[in-house]
Amino acid sequence: MKKLFNLALGIVTSIGGFVEVGSISTAVQAGAEFGFSLLWAIAGASLFLAALAEMAGRVAAVTKRSMAAAVRERFGFHFQVIPLGAEVIIDTLLLTAELGGAAIAVKMLTGIGFQWWVLPLGLVAWLVLWFGSFTIIEDGVGLLGMVTLSFVVAAWRLHPDVGPVARGFVPSIPQHDVTRYAFLAVSIVGATVSPYLLNFYASGAIEEKWTQQDLWINRLTAWCGMGFGSAVAMGCLVTAAIVLGPQHVKVDTYEQAAQMFVPVYGQWAVVVFALSLGVGCFGAAVELALNAGYVLGQAFGWTWGIDKKRCDVSRFAAAFSGVLVLGVAIATIGFDPLRVTLISAALTVVIMPLVVLPFVVLMNEEEYAGKHTSGPLGNGLLATLTVLGALMAIVVIPLEIFGG
Amino acid sequence: MDVVRDVLDKNVIDRNGREMGRVDGILIEQQPNQPVRLTAVLIGPAALGDRLHPALGRVVRRIEKRFGVDGDRPARVAFSDIDEIETKVRLRLAIGETAVAAVEQRLRSWVVRLPGSR
Repeated sequence: MKKLFNLALGIVTSIGGFVEVGSISTAVQAGAEFGFSLLWAIAGASLFLAALAEMAGRVAAVTKRSMAAAVRERFGFHFQVIPLGAEVIIDTLLLTAELGGAAIAVKMLTGIGFQWWVLPLGLVAWLVLWFGSFTIIEDGVGLLGMVTLSFVVAAWRLHPDVGPVARGFVPSIPQHDVTRYAFLAVSIVGATVSPYLLNFYASGAIEEKWTQQDLWINRLTAWCGMGFGSAVAMGCLVTAAIVLGPQHVKVDTYEQAAQMFVPVYGQWAVVVFALSLGVGCFGAAVELALNAGYVLGQAFGWTWGIDKKRCDVSRFAAAFSGVLVLGVAIATIGFDPLRVTLISAALTVVIMPLVVLPFVVLMNEEEYAGKHTSGPLGNGLLATLTVLGALMAIVVIPLEIFGG
Repeated sequence: MDVVRDVLDKNVIDRNGREMGRVDGILIEQQPNQPVRLTAVLIGPAALGDRLHPALGRVVRRIEKRFGVDGDRPARVAFSDIDEIETKVRLRLAIGETAVAAVEQRLRSWVVRLPGSR
């Protein structure tokens, strides 16, 4: 029964995937510009992420190895250096963006410029990591994350028509701005399925000491957790489609995005939006910094773990602190969080085959998955989707950036 | 034994089960008219740097030196000090008896000054 609390791991991971600065902004833009017609991208990203997280959790439960460790041992450092380098870069960029997103949320609540909030928020994130345990982080972010259900409530209260919403789950070619549509689809997937989530989830499973007996918990956690995030992201898209769609505006600030809550939450619209954005971004920032410690520790074989005394895991502690300092530094210099997220999302989709394909190979080897290897259908589907996604990203991203 | 498959990149743990790092490199020696002999495993980022490009290895060594980690980098552990090679490589030594601990100790000296670290 106690194990059911482990569902929090799924919720926390999905907040990093679906309810953070990148996913919220892409979902809002998609809804405002293309109505319900990009719901399929969120649904697809959810299935993809849940399947991958389940696999990562399975390897962790069976062999006590996270992705970074398994890939290093199976494929060697020469292969790993590229996905590892990309993950650390994306991790830092996203951390910067999430701190920025959380700072924007605080600015919406206080009216004081967002650049003033980056440093204090970074410090709070570090205090949480330094003094917190895995349970505190997991349950804290998971519980606070419930505020993001405000997106689902908003969509529900706006009574969307079932027909058009259902049609959004089938990919279609829009009558206008085909490149923009494809770019948003790629961005939704890229902002959702970050490689760091898989490593974070697997590391969480190891921190929670899952064993082979917990494989059902793993399956439940992966699918329910991603289901939660997916529902929130879809609620966000649907709300934006109904409220902002008819206004024909291109949403490029969060203040604009918050307006979509006005018909439902009235004068509390900005507060509810800012709280949801703030909690999601801050949770993701904590997760990202922690994951930087995990991934480096595991790739280089250091002792790691947030539940160990910091002085016994000084390399790990230095790694998450260092990445946090770097993220705060970049964020303080000044940048546009939205731009940074879109760059990281694009980079994520391009690098995805290097993350997913070795993983599919591992999942078929007894040394890494025990008796619980994946079936050929799942493997084939994952591999095909990954490669297709990357090819699409390579075509679409330059078109959007340089104008097509 | 296939050293590349069975030893390289594996996790190294000390006598007490503490994770020290990974086998980042392997040192082999060949005397004239004798078979190749494994002498040591190398642990540390300098060995990884060397594996990618010698110039990178030099850069890593310089950074480590500036960081206050002196002595021979990467750390070497004689093959005779390896106890067993399974999914992990277990040593007969404790981490403190090897040069691997240098970076960890350096960082630890800073970390312990912070509240909540012990």
